[in-house]
Amino acid sequence: MKPKPTLRNAFLAFVITGAIFGTGFWVSNSINNLRINEIQNIEQQIGIDTLSVETQFELLSRLSCEYVNENTELSAELNTLASRLDYTETQLGSENPQVIQLKSEYSLLEIKDYLLMQEIATKCHLKPVFVLYFYSNRGDCPECDSAGHVLTYLRETYPQLRVYSFDYNLDVGALKTLISVDKIKNTLPAFVVDGKITYGVSDLASIEKIFPPGKLSTTTATTTPKK
Amino acid sequence: MEDIVTFFLYPFLFLALYFEVFLILSFFDADARKRRRRTPSVIFPSVSVIIPCYNEERTIVATVDSVLALDYPKDKLSVIVVDDGSTDSTFDALARFSTTSNIRIVHKENGGKHTALNAGIEVSESEFVGCLDADSFVAPDALTAVMENFDDERIGAVTAAMSVHAPRTILERMQQAEYLLGITMRHAFAAVNGLYVTPGPFTIYRKKIFDELGLFKPAHNTEDMEIALRLQRAHWRIQNAPQARVYTKAPKTVFGLIKQRRRWTTGFLRNAMDYRELLANPRYETLGLIVLPFAIFSVYSRIVILPITWGQALQSFFQFVRHTLEVPLSYTFHLPSIDWFFAPTSMIALLGTFAILFTLTFIFVGAYISKTKTHFGASIVWYLALYGLIAPVWMILSVTDVARGVRRGWHA
Repeated sequence: MKPKPTLRNAFLAFVITGAIFGTGFWVSNSINNLRINEIQNIEQQIGIDTLSVETQFELLSRLSCEYVNENTELSAELNTLASRLDYTETQLGSENPQVIQLKSEYSLLEIKDYLLMQEIATKCHLKPVFVLYFYSNRGDCPECDSAGHVLTYLRETYPQLRVYSFDYNLDVGALKTLISVDKIKNTLPAFVVDGKITYGVSDLASIEKIFPPGKLSTTTATTTPKK
Repeated sequence: MEDIVTFFLYPFLFLALYFEVFLILSFFDADARKRRRRTPSVIFPSVSVIIPCYNEERTIVATVDSVLALDYPKDKLSVIVVDDGSTDSTFDALARFSTTSNIRIVHKENGGKHTALNAGIEVSESEFVGCLDADSFVAPDALTAVMENFDDERIGAVTAAMSVHAPRTILERMQQAEYLLGITMRHAFAAVNGLYVTPGPFTIYRKKIFDELGLFKPAHNTEDMEIALRLQRAHWRIQNAPQARVYTKAPKTVFGLIKQRRRWTTGFLRNAMDYRELLANPRYETLGLIVLPFAIFSVYSRIVILPITWGQALQSFFQFVRHTLEVPLSYTFHLPSIDWFFAPTSMIALLGTFAILFTLTFIFVGAYISKTKTHFGASIVWYLALYGLIAPVWMILSVTDVARGVRRGWHA
């Protein structure tokens, strides 16, 4: 009994392996597209929410501040968006055009939310803690990974913190303006808390020190409950 | 760095998957299916089982006993124990068999395993000769299962289904999974005549192949590979009996394992070089075109790929440790919410998962077709966790030895 020719099995194996590779590529791509769609949906939602808060703010002259909540859903949505965007960036790479586009949109939403919340805080005498965090993922900021992780922890532990993180190198006009207005140097990581700039810290103890005393607590005394 | 990793990983994954798919196709080949259905033999040719031993005082009695317990006509079965100049009490241990009618004990000066096997072949008068390492034990129906597979005059040898004897330690369990994987691979590749090793634990040869091709050679301390390649070169077929269970002692220490595998791998690379005419030669079909090239590729690719994987795993581990130390432990170890968004679905992760699933399936199939009873869970866990860490060590050492021309003794 002679062994069967190898050729048929070899060819079939090649076709099947090619099909597995193709399927893997398609599944991976499809899931990444789903991720991007979800991020776009969240950004769209945030855009609508921002518009809603803006409109609410414009109505403030006629309405009481009790209708404005310092801890809007917007803050939570921005956090969700941040973690999803971060993961997508690790999956697709920071040079991916779609990732850059999503990050640009995210940065704009953050700036918009930051400015709006500042105005609301002044008008309604609220005292949220604003943190502007500037990082770089070009390999020139070894401490940014730790700083980002610590900030994520702080953001999840202290809901009153409004953390806005920005890729320092992102080519977005509004972001460049924010950097020049606040005079942020390219010494990363950089933090702006209540207008004060701090550079180069990345451990929990040092980052906690940049917050004004008493600002880090697990409850928010100034929160106005939603009606 | 990412680009370099991808550059190496994609071709590696493609070839690894290709090899696994080819294995599956071979598994469903008509010949493989036929051999999984046992067809009991009605004729029982004479068989001599040669047991070469050197300082095997601890296992030799159990090994001989297991051969004596084989379910095979006693007048057709003889045992030839060749004491290769043992310096321990192997001689005394064998004394108890001196009056057993179908056992012949040969004492000779130490000359290496191949000389002990040859001494046994020379005194054998049987139609078939088998070898059984002195640290291995056969199941009672192993010989009948092997002999059923000599159903063609051009089948020169039939190998058995090896597994680890009484695996208990982590290392033994890891090797158990590897041996079960080997059962499936050997069975599938035998169907397309792709075997390049006839292992010491219970391979039975048609005796006339030694008359035609000559006796065992030193063969870089891997005489079982050399004889298989010699058989293949002469266009003899090597079959496999997946139901013929044989249990072998596995190294108990990492150092012992690395030493054993370094001998196997250097032996393979040197024998492959000696028989390079088989490589990429269409006359040797599966063996020449697929099995041997892939076996060589797997040695070199593991040297390149696995250190990269180690590097990434270590990088992730250190990042995890660093992040753990940066924030309170309660935050690091809080239960994360399950979210599809964060599922690892990169191309590498998906294909890697595919390759691992195939491997796990082969391990299960190996146990199933050989009816080997074992604890899968621990074996598979340790195999997945440790094999990739240890294997590159012996691969690197072996390739270094071959490149530098370093020759080591059997136990070095």
